[in-house]
Amino acid sequence: MDSLNVWNSSMDILNNLASGFGVALTPINLLYCFLGSFIGTAIGVLPGLGPPATIALLLPVTYGIPATSAVILLAGIFYGAMYGGSTTSILLNIPGEAASVVTCLDGYQMARQGRAGAALAISAFGSFIAATFSIVGLMLLAPPLASLALKFGPPENFALLVLGLTMVGYLAGGSMTKGLLMACLGLLMGMIGLDPIEGTPRFTYGVYKLSDGFEFILVAMGLFGIGEVLVNVEQTIKAEVFQTEIRKLLPNREEWRTSAAPIARGSLLGFFIGVLPGGGAIISSFISYALEKKLSKHPERFGKGAIEGVAAPEAANNSAATGSFIPLLTLGIPGNASIAMIFAALLIHGVRPGPLLVTEKPDVFWGLVASMYVGNLMLLVLNLPLIGLWVKLLRVPYALLAPLILVFVLIGAYSVNNSAFDVGVTVAFGLFGYLIRKFDFEPAPLVLAMILGPQLEASLRRSLIYSRGDLGVFFERPIAATLMALALLMLLSPVLRWMLSRKAWEVTKPII
Amino acid sequence: MSKRDIGVAALTLIFGAAAAYESAKLQFGTVHNPGQGFFPWWTSVVIILLAMILLIRALKSRSSAAREKSGRIARVVALLVVLAAYSFLLDPLGYPLCTFFLVLFMLRATDPQRWTVALGMALITAVGSYIVFAVWLRVPLPRGPL
Repeated sequence: MDSLNVWNSSMDILNNLASGFGVALTPINLLYCFLGSFIGTAIGVLPGLGPPATIALLLPVTYGIPATSAVILLAGIFYGAMYGGSTTSILLNIPGEAASVVTCLDGYQMARQGRAGAALAISAFGSFIAATFSIVGLMLLAPPLASLALKFGPPENFALLVLGLTMVGYLAGGSMTKGLLMACLGLLMGMIGLDPIEGTPRFTYGVYKLSDGFEFILVAMGLFGIGEVLVNVEQTIKAEVFQTEIRKLLPNREEWRTSAAPIARGSLLGFFIGVLPGGGAIISSFISYALEKKLSKHPERFGKGAIEGVAAPEAANNSAATGSFIPLLTLGIPGNASIAMIFAALLIHGVRPGPLLVTEKPDVFWGLVASMYVGNLMLLVLNLPLIGLWVKLLRVPYALLAPLILVFVLIGAYSVNNSAFDVGVTVAFGLFGYLIRKFDFEPAPLVLAMILGPQLEASLRRSLIYSRGDLGVFFERPIAATLMALALLMLLSPVLRWMLSRKAWEVTKPII
Repeated sequence: MSKRDIGVAALTLIFGAAAAYESAKLQFGTVHNPGQGFFPWWTSVVIILLAMILLIRALKSRSSAAREKSGRIARVVALLVVLAAYSFLLDPLGYPLCTFFLVLFMLRATDPQRWTVALGMALITAVGSYIVFAVWLRVPLPRGPL
């Protein structure tokens, strides 16, 4: 690219960003941003309620507000939870979010050594730096990626979705077979209702209520909200709040110095893993921890309060969270359950996520990006000076929280269609979600496949109609072929994953 | 542990077969012009294959990973029954009443608290949430006989 082109593109980006701030800094959107960050931190702190369930819950609430505000709010909840999760990991040795499990290892040890303040601070600052980095990445990568995606036809779409779902099954934790099974089940569930090409009802068995298929929000709220509560009811969460004054909130210079490179590495690693569908905050935090331990000159310090063991994974999970917006905003493919909810929210508001989003709805895209900068700043404040607030929240026993969570879910379920029947449906999915977890299955691939199923089927059928039945169409076009090859690679090598997870496990296991 | 896995795998296999059967009833179309049944059929086939993999794995692994403690399943079942009842009784009895009893149940049966706490929470939650959601946010929650 010659320098004039680079100059023009940079100016474009800055212009767009400026207009994005114009949207994000309106008082109402600032309020939504703050609300999102606040709620996100709260649920991050509270074990037993996660971002997917919360976002699903709030979907009906967002009906009345404009699309940009809705997405600012929901996004804030998602990346906010990444900040809050570390609080319980450090203070209680209980991860508030799965993405903060690794933070327990060294964070809690630091707390026991009286350095809780430093751990919390480095976690917050590391998260902030990483998030900022990945927002810049999002800003720079999304528009060109979207233009690339515009060249996609049905075969490329199909191949991409196959790759996406394969990766979700592959990376979503637990056995790949089970992940893929969940995905297939989700596909089937998505098929109930109207056929995407012919528009005729399918699998409805004459039940009128099913003619539109399962209401996605109900499924999500049931699986994630009620399901998790049921699991927690079965196994009590007993938390002993670490009774310590959090003095000396700031790390000393030595600790800053040690954390700098891990934060940088974590940010980079998290971003790239986060962009992958199915990859995300959880995996990034594990890999980042393993990487730091491997690179360290004193690996034996890990697990005993090494600040790098807090800084790096926390940075990684934040930049992964932001990075996971990229497939959504450029390709229209959600990579994890929370993003899937945001996908649903956009659809409800008439914004179709896909390659055209960046150009057709610049308000939404740039407003969101700008709000992420603002949100992360708010989160920094919320998580440091206001940390005392969250510690108090932790003293509320789960027994009191569980009914509140359930009531919330039930109200949400009712409000979708003002129907008590829907409440029953949600409860049924809650039971299903509980059973899934009992038998070591993951709900995320199911939810993602349910959302993407109709698209997957439509692209498949269109491709075959277009190619007159020639299956080679998926392998002759270069982009499609590459994507299919990657998907096949993934499907045919569970060994690779086993080795990878074993390495990470080998590194972390001696500590546990 | 293995027994449970075998059961789950077998169940999934049966489900896959049922799904395939149902899909076969639909118009399959041709590869040139896939019909309604095309995608469901192939998805069911994949499910059957995956279920078989699970089944084989479950049958092969005689290793007994320590059976995770069964926790308080009775409470989960009880809560589910109550939740189901909740959805049935929501329209006739109304939201405030149903919610009151739900919270009361959870705070006395599921995770027992003192009566004062249980009653207090139940009251505050039922009334408070009704005010916030039904009155303030205008969600048309059924009022019931109250």
